[in-house]
Amino acid sequence: MLTNHLIEQEELMAYLDGELGTDRASAAATHLEGCQECQRLAADFRDLSQQLTSWHVEQSSPALTNHIAAEMGKYLSQPRGKFAFLARRQAWAWAGGLSVAAFVVAILIQPRSTPQYEKIDFARARNPLPLQIRDSKANTFFDEVRARNPMIARTTQLTIAVKDFAKTRPIVDEILKRHGGYLGQSNISSPVDSGPVLEAMLRVPSDQLDTAMAELKALGRVESESQTGEEITQQYVDLEARLSNARNSEKRLTDLLRERTGKLADVLAVEKEIERVRGEIERMEAERKNFANRVDFATLNIKLFEESRAGLQVPGSLSYRLRNAAVEGYRTTVESVTGAASFLLAYGPSVLFWTSVLFFPVRLVWRRLRHHLLHSL
Amino acid sequence: MISDEALMLEFQGGSRPAFEEVFARYREPLYGFFRRRLTNRERAEDLTQEAFIVVIRATVRYQPKALFRTYLYSIALNLLAAERRKLARTAPAANEVIENAADEVLWVREALQKLEPSDREILMLREYEQLSYAEIAELLRIPINTVRSRLFRSRLALKCHLEPEREGVKC
Repeated sequence: MLTNHLIEQEELMAYLDGELGTDRASAAATHLEGCQECQRLAADFRDLSQQLTSWHVEQSSPALTNHIAAEMGKYLSQPRGKFAFLARRQAWAWAGGLSVAAFVVAILIQPRSTPQYEKIDFARARNPLPLQIRDSKANTFFDEVRARNPMIARTTQLTIAVKDFAKTRPIVDEILKRHGGYLGQSNISSPVDSGPVLEAMLRVPSDQLDTAMAELKALGRVESESQTGEEITQQYVDLEARLSNARNSEKRLTDLLRERTGKLADVLAVEKEIERVRGEIERMEAERKNFANRVDFATLNIKLFEESRAGLQVPGSLSYRLRNAAVEGYRTTVESVTGAASFLLAYGPSVLFWTSVLFFPVRLVWRRLRHHLLHSL
Repeated sequence: MISDEALMLEFQGGSRPAFEEVFARYREPLYGFFRRRLTNRERAEDLTQEAFIVVIRATVRYQPKALFRTYLYSIALNLLAAERRKLARTAPAANEVIENAADEVLWVREALQKLEPSDREILMLREYEQLSYAEIAELLRIPINTVRSRLFRSRLALKCHLEPEREGVKC
């Protein structure tokens, strides 16, 4: 172990390797001249280098020159200049790969088509200013209707918990009758572990809705309540305009049939057309009635149930429940197998298609990338 | 003498003799690099060829940011690493068969094998490829002081392995 030296062993080694800075190198040289221990270490390092250089390697094969010459020839035969990259195969491979990727991305992110008419109707109904109604007559009519009274279809949801269902049920009917409403739909159920439940759709005159709701809410504890109002003025006006046009068409066709004479085939064609237009008129009139009904009568969806009670029935026996579980298990197994098969049938062909399209470009890009990473600095 | 970097720029411009000169300069050193690190002579030649091919194909993008020698040996090291990975996957490490080698060479090779792989690489790059500390640091992406200390350590260890009786200590 060397001690009390002006330079460290590592520095001495660096000096011998010619890797020491000028200042330290001169210090190392001076020290080395007078230090026998360091001279021995230096001699050891030199000896070590000599021993290592005894490991000679044979000459490489002459064939190496031929391969490299061929590769040089390929490189030198390539075009040079600003746009030389266009002549290289890699550039086209990259361009092709990127194009395919961009195409796939464009397909994947394109917006799903949605029914346009819904958007237009909502936009029109909400904002009267940009309305572009087909003719000025309809526009005027629309303005008149709006100014008179906007057509609002109201829908209300009400959930009420009552103490005695049997007593409350007739009261609901009585309230409905008193306000001139009617029952649109009704369903009473008695679940196993709770009291009876009434789910009904009541139609109540719009001007009576608030009063009727107040009375219904007094029947018990209100669990939830929500109200929505949809303005259907625009839809109504559109319908009126279309109905008017259809009536005009029907009138013209009827006049045509009455005043003109022609071949039997022409007469039959006109009659068929009248029949079609008539059908449309009837459908639109029904729709108009429906609009009017929706406005005149608000929809009140009510759910009435008795406050929770203890379970009315004991749960089924163990064997019964096990059997049910087995049946359920079989059903879910069949459903999952069917679902998987459906998924494969639905998406398998497209996955196969895109895999076959993208496989070679992606593999090419991957190989180039790997090659580049491997051989770059 | 024209520098390696200038020759590469000439080759980039289309001069065949420029690369022939580069090839002549580095053909044997590069083959020696692979040959000393691989047991199979054919693979050493293949990798030498591959390294030059990589240089040729990348010539269009070549920029003399670093010494060409560093650039060339970095390619060689990458190829060597890939080869070693491949060998590790395909076959277990076999004892090296050395034919027609002198006793002294065998002794040196065995002593080198006893070194830590990273220390051995630094020592070999210094002794056989004659790279500077800075070039080794750049190639292996380690600080230059680390190169110096590891080189010192590996030299002492190698001396110990080569002359254990003289040292009188267990290496």
